[in-house]
This record gives sequence, structure tokens and C-alpha cells, in this order.
Amino acid sequence: MANVTFPFPFPQHLELMLPEIIIAIMAMTLLIWDLFLGKDKKAWIAYATIATCIGAAFATLYITTGTPLTTFYGYFVMDPFASFSKLLMFLATVFAVILSLDYMKDEENVGEYYCLILFALLGMMLMVSSNNFVTMYLGLELMALSVYVLVAYQRDVLRSSEAALKYFILGALSSGMLLYGITFLYGVTASFGFDAIGAGLVSANDSAHGVVMLGMVFVLAGLAFKVSIAPFHMWTPDTYEGAPTPVTAFISVAPKIAGFVVFMRVLHDVLPAVQADYTMILVFLAGLTIIVGNVAAIAQRNIKRMLAYSTIGHVGFILMGLIAGNAAGYSASLVYLTVYLFMNMGVFAIIILMRRDGIQGELLDDFAGLSKVRPGYALAMGLLLFSLAGIPFLGGFWAKYVVIMAAIETGHLYLALLAIIFSVVGCFYYLRVIKYMYFDEARVSFNFIENPLMKMTVVVTALAVTAIGLYPEPVIGICRQALVGLI
Amino acid sequence: MIGLSDYLIVAACLFSLGVIGLFLNRKNVITILMCIELILLAVNINFVAFSHYLQDISGQIFVFFVLTVAASEVAVGLAILVAFYRTRRSIDVEDINSLQG
Repeated sequence: MANVTFPFPFPQHLELMLPEIIIAIMAMTLLIWDLFLGKDKKAWIAYATIATCIGAAFATLYITTGTPLTTFYGYFVMDPFASFSKLLMFLATVFAVILSLDYMKDEENVGEYYCLILFALLGMMLMVSSNNFVTMYLGLELMALSVYVLVAYQRDVLRSSEAALKYFILGALSSGMLLYGITFLYGVTASFGFDAIGAGLVSANDSAHGVVMLGMVFVLAGLAFKVSIAPFHMWTPDTYEGAPTPVTAFISVAPKIAGFVVFMRVLHDVLPAVQADYTMILVFLAGLTIIVGNVAAIAQRNIKRMLAYSTIGHVGFILMGLIAGNAAGYSASLVYLTVYLFMNMGVFAIIILMRRDGIQGELLDDFAGLSKVRPGYALAMGLLLFSLAGIPFLGGFWAKYVVIMAAIETGHLYLALLAIIFSVVGCFYYLRVIKYMYFDEARVSFNFIENPLMKMTVVVTALAVTAIGLYPEPVIGICRQALVGLI
Repeated sequence: MIGLSDYLIVAACLFSLGVIGLFLNRKNVITILMCIELILLAVNINFVAFSHYLQDISGQIFVFFVLTVAASEVAVGLAILVAFYRTRRSIDVEDINSLQG
């Protein structure tokens, strides 16, 4: 029995949780402030949310040191790896809030919407800072429960609540599978700490091998659900299509970052003893994910649904970095996540700018003739789509390049070949949108949202993708340094 | 004497019942919520059995976290279900079909 003294001593180095504390306090303060705000002043909550994220980002930079430090009795770790992924998530949240400004303004109780985004952010921050299955599970559930509600936010719209219902059912199932896997790892090692389980599995005797395998498979399946790896991707297209578009943008980026960071920690800290086994499973899953994502996207007429399948395809690529399993592979996955954040947020910003009467701007046909009406948007959309397709000298090309190189260097040549072939297949459906924009006559009259912050988002993301494409070394270097806490 | 493996078998049966019920059920969404609850309870039995077997208290503490989260999860799930019912006027599994492709 572990010795427990009561009352607990005050946790040492609590300042390492400063960003989480800021987000938690602000989320609750905004929830109360919302009650006293008039209906026409709800936008203040959004601006306060953006300010909170920026403040928390500075707090994160302030407390980051080169070495991993723990607080809360060792249940919370703050290392450059966690800091970097938190900064990415702040950026994703700020973009998501900017995208929501116009889209959500007519909804009821829009203040709560921004508070839910902050709570989801808090859950993801706890996830990436966890070195323990308890913290990880609680962060994961805080994120998941907030996101279920966000997806259902347009509750008068059938597809919104239906998307949330599907997401909820499969999300709850995946949590159950994850937990069931954790029970077996706990049963073998009598611990929940990542490092302690890792050490316990290395020294576990052979008779426990079956139990370890069982635990590993269930934990991998649970995590695969969360980052939508095929064949656990069924919820993704429905949820992306039904959710309000800013929420789709948010859940296509931020939970993926958190999920993959947890995935890396689990693979590297918990399961090194069974690396050969999990690599075999992940190679199969990555191949399947790349094929399913890129092939199914071709058949879609709704751009949100198409981007859902494209996300699945990209997740397969990110998984290749994890399969490599070394510093180069993990940093390649981080590079991919960084570039992916800009690409996806930019594309969704343009989709929202084209919104009219609820659904307009979501069908591929709606993009016909965009280049004649708004050449600037068409150019930005073209750049972002070229980058998603992985055309050379844009950000997406280098992201694909580093993960494929990492996979080849660790001997996964066939997987790399498959990835290259299917990224060519993927070009088809991205380029089809460009064909609509530049070579087709306009079929509908456009009616754009005029919002300076959203225009800025489009410009910033397009510039970022181009800049990373022309000069990728800084991003690759930062991602390599961010791994200090992990490897 | 009831040993560790007996508890694990019971938990495995409950877990399988939950998962099978989730996928085979064609009738009602409430049943799905019950199946999810069954899965989480199977997990809890596993935790408590291992915790007692290993004489380690942390497994039982995790059970409390799982119970708490399960309660809030059902609250959110039922709220979403009510929102769905208001627009669709049905909670049959077959009627969750407006998003397809």
C-alpha cells in the first residue's frame, strides 16, 4: 500500500501550472461575466478569450525551461515538448475564436460557447502535460465533454445535434476501450505513471505477455479513435459535416495535436518494451488510414466532408512519424502538426467567409468562379490547397518530406512508397477545388462576410504556409528542440 | 475461493456485452447509453480486482475518477439526446441518418 499523509503538503513548484490556472480562472470568470452582458455585447467574451489565450501563451513561454520539471506530486510535467504543443493549441484556439466571431453571433448564449472552448483547451493542456494515466484520462474527458457540447451548439439544426450524438457515442466507446487497456497495464505493473509502467513492462515476466498485449491493443485503439485513425475514423466525416464550421476547424486541429502528443508520450514512455509489436500494428493502421482518407475524399461533394477525409489522410502521414519512433520521427510529426494547423485554419476561414444562408459555401460547386469575384481569396485558397496536396515549396511539402524521410530511414520503405502514391491520389480532390475556382463560371452570387480579423487570419495562414515552404529550417529546428522533454 | 481471474472474466463478459450491445442495437439510443455505462462498470471491476490483488490503493482511487466522469458523461449524453429529439422527434437508432456519404 502506498503511504498517504493527510493533509497533503502544498504542492511544490505550482507556478509550472500557471497557464492552466490562468485558463481555468478566466473560463469560470467569463462564464459569470457573460450573465451580466447585454445581448449586443457578447463579442467582448470572444475578445477576452483571445486575450486569455495570448496571456497564457506568454505565461507558458515565461515558465518554460530547457529541462522537464514536475509539480502536483509528480502528476503534472512541464517540459519543452508540452510547452511547444501548448503554444500550438493556443494558436489554434485563437484562430477558432476569430472564425466564430461572425458565424456564432446569432446563436443563443454565445458567451458559453467561448467558455466551452476555453474548457476544452484546458483539458487538452492537461493531456499534453500528463505523465500519468490519471491526469491524461481526466484531461481527455474534459476536452471530449466540452467538444461534444460545442458540436451540438446549433441545437435547432438537426445535423448539428446528430453529429454530436454520433461523436458522443463513439467517443464514449473509445474512452471505455482506453480505460480497459489501462486496467491491464495497471494490473501488470501496479502503477499509473508513464515511466513506472514503462519500467514495469520491461521487467515483466513472459507469463504476463498476453495481458500486456491485450492492454496495449486496447490503449492503442482508444487513442486511435481520438485522432481518427482508420478503421476507427467512422465518426469523423459525420461530425465534421454536422458541427458548426468554426467548431469543425477547432476539432480538426487542436484535439489532434493533443491526441498525438499523448500518443507519442504513451508510445515512448509506456510501451518501449513492446516496440516491435506496436510498430507492426501502427504500420498497418497508417497504411489503411492513408488509403481510406485519400480515396474516400474523392467522392465527396461537401467540402467539410472532403476535408474530414483529407484530415484522416493527413493523420496517416503524422502517424508515420510515430512509427519511425526516433527523435527524427517525432519531430517530423510535430512539424506536420504545425504546418497542418495553418493549412486547415486558413481553408476553414475561407469556407466561413463564403457562408450564406447556413449551408452555402460548403458545397464544392459554391466555389465556382471565385477567382473572378475575389482573386485574393482564390489565391489564398489555392496556396493552402496546394500546400495540403503537398506541392513542392509550400509548407505541406516539407511536412510530408520530413515524415516520409523519417519512415524511410527507419526501414519502412513500403509504407513510404504507399504514402507517396496516395499523396498523388490526394492531389486530385484538392486540385478539383482549384479547377472550380479558376476555370468554372460563377453559378451563385457571392456574399462575403466582411470581418477584418478573419481576413487577417486568411492572410496570416497563407503567408505562414508560403514562408515555411520557402524556408522550413526554423520550424524543423524548433520542433527538434521541443523534444527535449521526451527523448 | 474466488480468485483474480474470476473477476476479470466477469469484467470481460460485461465489457463484451457493452460493446456488442452498442453495435447490434437497432432500437433505441437510451440502450446505447446503458451499454456505455456497462463498459465503464466493467473497467471499474477490473480496477478494483487488480487493486485488491496487488494491494495497491491507486486503482481504487482511479475508480472514483471514472465514476465521476461517467456521471458527467451521461449528463452530457442525455442533454445531446434531448436536443436531438427536439428536432427529429424520435430517438430510434434508425432515424440517426441525415448525415451520410
